[in-house]
Amino acid sequence: MGREIRTFNIGEEIPTLTKNMTQDAINRFEGSSGESGPSQFTDEETAKGVLGTSGTVASGRMSLTFAIEMLRRYFGPDVYNHRGTVDLRFLRPVRPGDSITFSGVIASVNREANGSRVQIDITATNQKGDTTAVGQGAAVVPNAYLPEE
Amino acid sequence: MDSDKILLDWDALQVGETFEKYEYVLTQDMVDGFREGVMDAEASFPTISHKVDVKQYNKKYTDNGSVNARCAFHCYNAPVPGRKIIVTAWIADKYLRRGKNYIVTEAVSVDETGMLIDRVITHELKQPSEVGKKWEGK
Repeated sequence: MGREIRTFNIGEEIPTLTKNMTQDAINRFEGSSGESGPSQFTDEETAKGVLGTSGTVASGRMSLTFAIEMLRRYFGPDVYNHRGTVDLRFLRPVRPGDSITFSGVIASVNREANGSRVQIDITATNQKGDTTAVGQGAAVVPNAYLPEE
Repeated sequence: MDSDKILLDWDALQVGETFEKYEYVLTQDMVDGFREGVMDAEASFPTISHKVDVKQYNKKYTDNGSVNARCAFHCYNAPVPGRKIIVTAWIADKYLRRGKNYIVTEAVSVDETGMLIDRVITHELKQPSEVGKKWEGK
């Protein structure tokens, strides 16, 4: 993909991302590190014992990964995979069967020595409209990707 | 409870404690499993699911479990399957909020060539049963 010259405007909404959570997806995420033991993410009894919940929950790191995907798609992997950050606070559990939508709005654009830091306010909501996570993401977009001043 | 682990004494835990380095080889199977789990064929940082910032903490200490309250991730370079990844993790902070104890762990991953991969910072609530008390049934 060629380099795209773009402008970034405060208040601009970025494309949303929706993920439908399943226990199978959670199990694959947890198993991908080579860990196979029961946990609050993969085993109902462990979740009851540790968290006091009636069922499993998804790791916050899955939500973190989804936010990263939304930002990578927006900024492009050439930028985001080298100069991207995300910081989320987890407000409600995400459970199998939930549909989680990530949205973002450009909060600030600041010039730096090597480009412009574009900061995005992120919100994740479930199918009930409840907020499951909030935070910020950012990327330093190199000057070569920005219009000439 | 593993007898060789230390029971967490939150008051005595030292901010700045740096753990023994953790090393693993990122395999293509790990990458594929991660991408299936997050439903994204281009997901570039499968290191996230390895939870490397708390791995060495959990190897050394035992506690009542934890819940991830906040997590930050910095992308530097996507890891390459087949390479060894070396992780340095430490206790970055600890704090008490609304009567609950939190521990902040931080980790930086580099690969065997010295390529910087990522940095992760996690705030863990050390009273995980608070999740059920607050949210169960809602």
